[in-house]
Amino acid sequence: MTDWTLDDDDDALALPQSQITKNKDGTETIVTYRMEDGKKVKTTRRIKKTVVKQVVNPRVAERKHWTKFGAEKGKPAGPQSDTTSVAENIVFRPMANWKASAEDKTETEKKKLAMKDAKIKCRICSGDHWTTKCPFKDTMAPEGEPGGAELDEAVDATGGLGPSGSSYVPPHLRKGGAATGDRMGGRYERDDLATLRVTNVSEFAEEQDLRDMFSRFGHVTRVFLAKDRETGRAKGFAFVSFADRAEAAKACEKMDGYGYGHLILKVEFAKKSTT
Amino acid sequence: MRPILLSGHERALTQVKYNKDGDIIFSVSKDHVVGAWFSYNGERLGTYHGHQGALWTVDVDPTTTFLATGGADNTMRLWNVQTGKLLKTWEFGSSIKRVEFSSDGSKLLGVTEKRTGHLSTIVVYDIVQDVDAEQTDEQSLRIVCDESKATVAGFSYGAKWIIAGHEDGSVSQYDVKGGELLDNVMVHEPDMPITDMQWAPDRTYFITASKDKTAKLISTKDLNVMKSYNTDTPLNSAAITPVKDYIILGGGQAAMDVTTTNARQGKFEARFYHKIFEEEIGRVRGHFGPLNYVAVHPLGTGYCSGGEDGYVRVHHFDKPYFDFMYEVEREQARM
Repeated sequence: MTDWTLDDDDDALALPQSQITKNKDGTETIVTYRMEDGKKVKTTRRIKKTVVKQVVNPRVAERKHWTKFGAEKGKPAGPQSDTTSVAENIVFRPMANWKASAEDKTETEKKKLAMKDAKIKCRICSGDHWTTKCPFKDTMAPEGEPGGAELDEAVDATGGLGPSGSSYVPPHLRKGGAATGDRMGGRYERDDLATLRVTNVSEFAEEQDLRDMFSRFGHVTRVFLAKDRETGRAKGFAFVSFADRAEAAKACEKMDGYGYGHLILKVEFAKKSTT
Repeated sequence: MRPILLSGHERALTQVKYNKDGDIIFSVSKDHVVGAWFSYNGERLGTYHGHQGALWTVDVDPTTTFLATGGADNTMRLWNVQTGKLLKTWEFGSSIKRVEFSSDGSKLLGVTEKRTGHLSTIVVYDIVQDVDAEQTDEQSLRIVCDESKATVAGFSYGAKWIIAGHEDGSVSQYDVKGGELLDNVMVHEPDMPITDMQWAPDRTYFITASKDKTAKLISTKDLNVMKSYNTDTPLNSAAITPVKDYIILGGGQAAMDVTTTNARQGKFEARFYHKIFEEEIGRVRGHFGPLNYVAVHPLGTGYCSGGEDGYVRVHHFDKPYFDFMYEVEREQARM
């Protein structure tokens, strides 16, 4: 008869035997158990063994069997995980005319360059200026949409100053107002889909810095950095609009958590403005 | 290329060296310990304990029997490579900045630091080629560098001359027999210390790295600057690759200056230059701190770098490295 206390202890300490199973595709699955901080840890590794034969000179072969000494004394053969590890893969491809900037020139990089070369085209009159600078922006709607003038006519039919014609209607409620002063909040508002909201921006940040940082990912159409009216310092948030939503998504992913001016940037897609 | 990361040291690496067959890497660091590693898988063979201060330098003799080290505890030590046993300790008045065996292993030189009351010297000992024999205390040569302290030194081919690099950016050639100064040439910017000097396989020329952000390829015989490699960062080390005509440079902003500079890139990369065309052909990233030393596998199959971050990274080159050729080289190969 055995002492039950001993038995219990043994149970807790006894670790199952490690198992090695050979898989059909030539790999092996190794299951090992070990104790860590009083807990049983099960490790399952799936490995593929390849035998690489290498011919070395006898001196090297002899040295391979030297017994370990110093801090390694008594350790088993093979690399120990506490001193030796394998780092991530590095692509090293020597090339002529190598430049620091050429290092990670990828497809997106090229695309960005193409965007820079692209001509500026007005969305309203297709002229070579920005849409905001268009001389016709108050009279015409962007191409492919009903023109502002037509809209006005439709409004005129029901009376330009509201339904009754006599009572005062504030400008922002006038239907025709959409075509003039209230334009920005109206139908032709900016495409918020590709706009990022950047928060936790250093108060010494400049719009140009942000533009430089973000134009790495694509064509930046607008940068707005909120500034304090009195001090002229940044308030800590900014909006960055991209021409393409995919680029915005990429920038969002890459720049979120980026350290800039001692602060960690927080980047997310801007929410639809409430107006 | 998947580098092997050797993380056995607790402080900044100061030098790493391959033995002549390239199967073992020796590393020294400021943590007082010498490490020996198998280069093919990164397995640690052992450590050598005994030094009482930061280590600056290590070298192994051609037969991988003796290991010499020098450090800030003012001693130069000789070890049995296989067992890790300390064979001999030479004591000096100041720290040892560089040790090097001659190409046949019969001589060992040490460079001592300049300190109040001590001038910088280059000392040479004859090594008895037997691990059980008593090594001599007697210096076979002592060169005093009174003008500018020596930072690096080594034996030329056939142990004919001793070539030394100095703190003021010059290199000197000394006669091995009597220790006379034969030549002194200013190769780097004045007062920019030479940080490293490594030999070509046949020791007919060598490369120096300097804080002036350049590395120079210099002939041993007449100290003629043959090639110059310009970078944008202070250099700590330069190596010449066999097989392919490349140069590997390592450096980076010193740790004390890092906070005052643009942190995006401390420029902690190994830079590859073409030896003949003096043009940069690529970089290898990985270290978190300046590279203190780069060493090339004697057979040209890989290199390793020791960094201020306390890691040794062992790289085995893959195909693109060996395939790369300039157009003119390719034409040459076709003919």
